[in-house]
Amino acid sequence: MAKVLEGPGMGLMKKWGITVPNYVVVTSVDELTKLGQANEWLKKSKLVVKAHEALGSRFKLGLVKVDLDFKGAEAAAKEMLGRQVGSITVTQVIVSEMIPHKEEYYCAVKSTREGTDILVANCGGIEVESNWERVKRLALEVGQQPSADALEKVAKEAGFTGPLVKKMADFAGKMFTCFDSEDAQYLEVNPVVLREQDGELIALDAVTLLDGDAKFRHPDWNFAFAAEFGRAYSKHEMEVMAVDSKIKGSVKFIEIPGGDTAMLPAGGGASVYYSDAVVARGGKLANYAEYSGDPPDWAVEVLTDKVCSLPGIKNIIVGGAIANFTDVKKTFGGIINGFRKAKSEGKLKGVKIWVRRGGPREKEGLDAMRALKDEGFDINVFDRNTPLTDIVDKALQNK
Amino acid sequence: MSILANKDTYVVIQGGVAGVNAARRMAEFCYLIKRSLNVLAFVYPPDAGKSHEIPYGSGLVAVPIYKTVAEATKNHPQINTSLVYIGADRAMKGGMEALDDTHIKVVSMITEGVPEKDAKILGRHATKLGKVFNGPSSIGIVSAGSCRLGVIGGAFDNLVLSKLYREGSFGVITKSGGLSNEIIWICSQFADGITTAIGIGGDAYPGTDYVSYLEMFENDPQTKAVVIVGEMGGDLEERAAEWYGAKKRRVKLMAVVSGFCQESLPKGMKFGHAGAKEGLKGEGSARAKSDALKNAGAIVPATFGALGPAIKEAYQEMLKSGLVKEPVEPASLPKLPKTVEEAMKADEVMVAPLIRTTISDDRGDEPCYDGYPASELINKGYEIPHVVGLLWDKRLISKQEAEIIKRIMMLSADHGPCVSGALGTIIAACAGIGMSQSVAAGLIMIGPRFGGAVTDAGRYFKYAVDNKMTVDEFLVYMKKNHGPVPGIGHRVKSLRNPDKRVKELVGYVKSLNTKTPCLDFALEVEKVTSVKKDNLILNVDGTMAAVLVDIGFPVDSLNGFFILSRTIGLIGHWVDQKRQDSRLIRLFDYLVNYAAPKRREVPPLK
Repeated sequence: MAKVLEGPGMGLMKKWGITVPNYVVVTSVDELTKLGQANEWLKKSKLVVKAHEALGSRFKLGLVKVDLDFKGAEAAAKEMLGRQVGSITVTQVIVSEMIPHKEEYYCAVKSTREGTDILVANCGGIEVESNWERVKRLALEVGQQPSADALEKVAKEAGFTGPLVKKMADFAGKMFTCFDSEDAQYLEVNPVVLREQDGELIALDAVTLLDGDAKFRHPDWNFAFAAEFGRAYSKHEMEVMAVDSKIKGSVKFIEIPGGDTAMLPAGGGASVYYSDAVVARGGKLANYAEYSGDPPDWAVEVLTDKVCSLPGIKNIIVGGAIANFTDVKKTFGGIINGFRKAKSEGKLKGVKIWVRRGGPREKEGLDAMRALKDEGFDINVFDRNTPLTDIVDKALQNK
Repeated sequence: MSILANKDTYVVIQGGVAGVNAARRMAEFCYLIKRSLNVLAFVYPPDAGKSHEIPYGSGLVAVPIYKTVAEATKNHPQINTSLVYIGADRAMKGGMEALDDTHIKVVSMITEGVPEKDAKILGRHATKLGKVFNGPSSIGIVSAGSCRLGVIGGAFDNLVLSKLYREGSFGVITKSGGLSNEIIWICSQFADGITTAIGIGGDAYPGTDYVSYLEMFENDPQTKAVVIVGEMGGDLEERAAEWYGAKKRRVKLMAVVSGFCQESLPKGMKFGHAGAKEGLKGEGSARAKSDALKNAGAIVPATFGALGPAIKEAYQEMLKSGLVKEPVEPASLPKLPKTVEEAMKADEVMVAPLIRTTISDDRGDEPCYDGYPASELINKGYEIPHVVGLLWDKRLISKQEAEIIKRIMMLSADHGPCVSGALGTIIAACAGIGMSQSVAAGLIMIGPRFGGAVTDAGRYFKYAVDNKMTVDEFLVYMKKNHGPVPGIGHRVKSLRNPDKRVKELVGYVKSLNTKTPCLDFALEVEKVTSVKKDNLILNVDGTMAAVLVDIGFPVDSLNGFFILSRTIGLIGHWVDQKRQDSRLIRLFDYLVNYAAPKRREVPPLK
């Protein structure tokens, strides 16, 4: 799943005929000033300025300013740009036109196992979250398109009346087309508003999750995907992602500040069980990591380097199940090189390393790990006869 | 018994390299359980018409490659299963092709990163047709003792350790590939092993979910319990729980779910599998799933580590109640033949080498010449003549000797376009022939009359010196036994028009004040022969020969010095012609003496 920021998200909706407010995304006040000279609406309308970053609760952080004239918008942009929030620097703001409205509604489309759900409610904003039973659902099977009748029916069920029934049905229909054509996994507009001047439904906000795996058939996805957990990716995370995109197999890395147990396990499945074990034993994760699909040893070495660079770690868990085809000797070779490099750079002081693994060439790989003892590493190596997550128990008992 | 894959399963593999690798793993399994290879065909349009050689035991099985699935099943009507190893952007088309083939009942997709929409369409299409679509991102399916689809089960040793050669009583369904292997092994260590293990893939919407497979296991009397390895995200585990709790089930359900760490992590954090993400409204958490399964009556150990003992307990109960009997292990199992290399490493076999070398070895990280690493030679100031010394005479020559060789090479690198060698290369180059052949055309000219007298000259001068002959004795000996003295005589040079190269080389060698018996002797010979005829001088071949014998090079290597040096010139001539884009040349008629009979009538054929 790949999250898309509001600007490109609204761009996709506009592409499929959904009316969105006028908006611009800028990286400097100068740019905004120039755009103001080129675009009438920026001067005429009341404006909203928001930090255009993958940040949660922007309102609370003062990163959303409403009801501004152009001067006010310039001032707000100036104030927001460059602001540091946690690990994120605000580098973009989105400036959009305020739409005078009284009514707020809700519309979303989401992927389900059976097909697609279209969700409609005749309330919007925070109201919809506290009144979830007012959200009505039109369930579609895989490959099924919503008929006009079905869309109007769900709009009626949601409490729309009169001409609004058809308007909402049309709006939801366009949302579905956008969702279906753009390989989306989730689209949400909250609120949908009724523009006072002409009674048109406008998408005021866009939550857009696309299927990153479908990028190959969308040449116009020229935007970057945003991190999904309320912060931007760190430098090390992005370096690992860059490696991941280049290789056979995969390497993954996410930092969790403040933890002291570093993770370097193999396997998308096993890695989560290792993380669970750390939490269950009262440990604090310093990161999430995973390598799988027989990645090249240099890629595992890069990952190891990042794991060893985590601040304040006490243990490194080099866990893994019994591999099907990942070459244990080769991937451990990458880890060993990473450990050696880290040690030569003065890292890993007082850090205990815990290894458990099985699979092709397990004996050679585990022997090579064991040999690190002679080089002065504090390393404990176990084979398949030690249950998967027991190394976590051992590591955290030693605390 | 088993589900999905059994003794009657025959497979077409759609895809390239990854598919071939899977076929090899499958062949190992077939060999272990003594069935013939169950991969009957590949579909890979670029290689259609060829075949892949798959090792089976100590032999090779040729598996044909077809352009389409239809062609494959037409030629091999037993095929009922397809494994898809096609890239994510073309996987859907390949999957559809397989599903639409009437022979095929099961399609398992190994491809990772398939768009969710495509996976859903494939799953839906399979359901409509009453077929099974497994995956995407599946590690494979294995039924103990009968069939392996894909690389699930790992290396041969692991197949044996996990007792996959015979049936057990436990069914396994996992999203994770690595953990499928772990669970298979756990089942074999804590209980009697598995019936069938299925990797359904870690995507959000696998083509077939736990419930469909639970239903199949429920109907397979050999399977007594099913182990599910789940993870957060989606609602497949909840649905499995619902199925289990709906009525009394014959099979015992055991499960673990991962993702409890989610509770103390940033929300929405992306884990290894595409499907491993909590819902926007908190549904699909590990706790919710685990609770649902527990409430439905499944055995849900608190941690993954506790799964082994739980499986053991369940198995002991089955034994006690007589539901299962202790399995009978086969007396012996086939051993996977080792490759010659593996067997040699394990000191199990001795192979008589085909060739023997005493000069070089490149098996390490760089070539060694007579034991010396090339880089070390470079870094310690050695040069090309030293490499010649090492490879031709297996010794590190002195600085002075190297200097002599360098001069010999510089003096004989080229001799203009007219000599046989260069002319041969030039004619070839003008005919548009490539470098190696054109240079070879020039090298072919090197022989008794052109450049190839060095070895013989060296041989006879050395013979004379070794036998302490006088010049007169030598000339008599040569005349009687071999004819003209090699190394003496020149086509154009003479006493009055001396060869400067010879003068240069002799002058340098003499200036070194070392012993040069052969050169001295050769110069004495020249004194006598050049009196007889003034072009019977010591030529460059003879000079080189005498000098090289004096510094100890073996006689048989001597022509090499000319060949090596002149190759520099021949390459130059080829590049020169190429650079000029020279046209094809032929001799002019006036350069030929046409001495053949005049034109005449052909007599009737008798």
